[in-house]
Amino acid sequence: MSVVMSQPLGALYKIYDRYKKLIIALLLIVFLFVLGEVTVSNFLSLGQILLTWKLASFIALFGLCQMSVIASGGSGLDLSVGYTATMTAVFTAAVMDGQNANLWMAVLVALGVGIIVGFLNGVLTAYAKLPPLVVTLAMSNILQGVIDVYTAGRNITGKPSPVLQILAAKSTGIFPHILFVLLIITPIVMIILYRTKWGLMLFGAGSNETTAYLSGVSVKMVRCIAFVISGVLASLVGLLLIGNMGMAFKDMGSNYVMPSIAAAVVGGVSLTGGDGNYLGVILGAVFLQTLTNLLVAAGWGDAGKWLGFGIVLFALLIVYVSNRRGR
Amino acid sequence: MDRVSGKAVAANSSALKRFVSKPDFSRLLILAVMLAITAVLQQNFFEIKAIVRNVNAFTPLILLTMGQAVVIISGGLDLSVGTALSLLTCVLTTVMKKADPVTGAYALAAAFAVAMLIAVINGIGIGYLRIPPVIVTFATSFMWLGIALFLRPTPGGETVDWFRAFYNPGSVEGMPAFVKALGAVIPPALILVLIGYALWFVIRRTRTGRYIYAVGSNNESAYESGINTAWVQMRACMINSVFIFLAALFFVGQNQSGDARMGDPLTLRAIAAAVVGGIALTGGRGSVYFALVGALILSFVSKIIFFANIANAYQTFFNGVIVIVAIAGSHGYTLYTRRTKEASKLT
Repeated sequence: MSVVMSQPLGALYKIYDRYKKLIIALLLIVFLFVLGEVTVSNFLSLGQILLTWKLASFIALFGLCQMSVIASGGSGLDLSVGYTATMTAVFTAAVMDGQNANLWMAVLVALGVGIIVGFLNGVLTAYAKLPPLVVTLAMSNILQGVIDVYTAGRNITGKPSPVLQILAAKSTGIFPHILFVLLIITPIVMIILYRTKWGLMLFGAGSNETTAYLSGVSVKMVRCIAFVISGVLASLVGLLLIGNMGMAFKDMGSNYVMPSIAAAVVGGVSLTGGDGNYLGVILGAVFLQTLTNLLVAAGWGDAGKWLGFGIVLFALLIVYVSNRRGR
Repeated sequence: MDRVSGKAVAANSSALKRFVSKPDFSRLLILAVMLAITAVLQQNFFEIKAIVRNVNAFTPLILLTMGQAVVIISGGLDLSVGTALSLLTCVLTTVMKKADPVTGAYALAAAFAVAMLIAVINGIGIGYLRIPPVIVTFATSFMWLGIALFLRPTPGGETVDWFRAFYNPGSVEGMPAFVKALGAVIPPALILVLIGYALWFVIRRTRTGRYIYAVGSNNESAYESGINTAWVQMRACMINSVFIFLAALFFVGQNQSGDARMGDPLTLRAIAAAVVGGIALTGGRGSVYFALVGALILSFVSKIIFFANIANAYQTFFNGVIVIVAIAGSHGYTLYTRRTKEASKLT
């Protein structure tokens, strides 16, 4: 097609082709904003948009966990991220006890939790060759069980340290601080993914296992490490979550699991692995949060949210993943 | 193999040896051990009442496991069974009105229609669009959850009186005496399981049954040999839906209410039970009848944990651990036996 096209159009087509999924995600967001502005008053105010971005940033951070696992291939997905975050939040609440001085201990706990959970997930999926969704679903059960045991017969006491609260909950003027976190993390992630050997290995293991293996990449190890990264990140996001909420409770993270996966798919991360752009995941998160706002404004609440997320994910799976056979 | 001397071996002992070396035997052995432990722990284990109670407690998992087994054998995996079950209970209790016995029939029809719709949507995703089954059913599970929450934001609802016949016919007024007498001997839950068995017994002998195995063991070659693989996988989803429907009847009969969240824990347990029952997650291998063994093993394990006087809070934890151990163990065992089989072929 591009051969027939004149030169500038051909270049445009190339850009379109490269960023097709990003553009689609962007168009979806614009569509939702227009729809929201028409149906709900005051939907497009700056404050509202920034609030949406703030809430979306948590989904986007969980989406980073998913992206790390998905990109490494092996049809990996991590359903345990939300529970890892909850566990970290519940454990660290008492450790921090509202003191900045105790933050380092909380970070150590978070790292420990993340590494253990991620390592178990990684070993069971990459080395024992069990299906990632089943393993991480079972892991979610185990983590929920640990949380249940820990909280049985007592209240979850303790508060996040003020630093975390400032980082996750507070804002300067109307600009939420959590967006700074996202602004700092995004370029780092992009550089790691696209400019380092590790990123190359990750995408290599995802896009073609055999080639990666023959080029000397230990595919199993890469996938295992991808799960560890996912676990550690989820655990650290748990710290931000408790900072945002000001307290820890039993179900604080579990509602993020589905959106994080949906955000990755909306953002154009290829579920077969080996491809993905973190900017897309952020856009996907914003899209999902906007959709949630819209559905809540329409009075459809929880039911509408889950139904909407399910339909969006299903529709995008049809567009991006389906592999119909011609007859 | 040395065929000449092989003939000389007494046929009887070799048949026994073959049976003992089969993985099915070890599963039955585990089941027997679990049963024995439970029987020791539960004093009245062999009394009719206790048996009925156990059958009632195990039935939903057995039905869901058999359905899941069909899907897994066809090369799929259904993460939406739990929420699909919840949705069906919500549909049943929404359509039914306590005062009007006829609404029970409407509810049955509506729930069955919804069950088939669930199967069609999952089947389109798995079969026709060829999206990885785990992911597509993960997406649809949230669709079912959303609809269920629309119908029933909090657990509740009403049922017609005769619906309790699916749980305990004896408690329904105006039920014919012989049905009551039958219900006292054979719990309806067992009848539901038998219906499921009969269903698979028939289907296994049809073309559909053979195709399900063919598609599951090698989708490409099944397609090349002219099987409509997408339609076969959709039929597998439909069979699964029938099992979910039966489980929903039992649940509503038992609780007389619908709950949008009740099925969530059953999804994973059904998958684990199928794996323990010898269904290979790679598809095409395993027996749906043996899914029952897997479901029973998991149920007995839960029961033993219950009897071990472990605090309630530990239940979720142990369920997760059991699932991982069960799946990892069975998977490893299957790999091991396959490897030794291949090794013995080489020698």
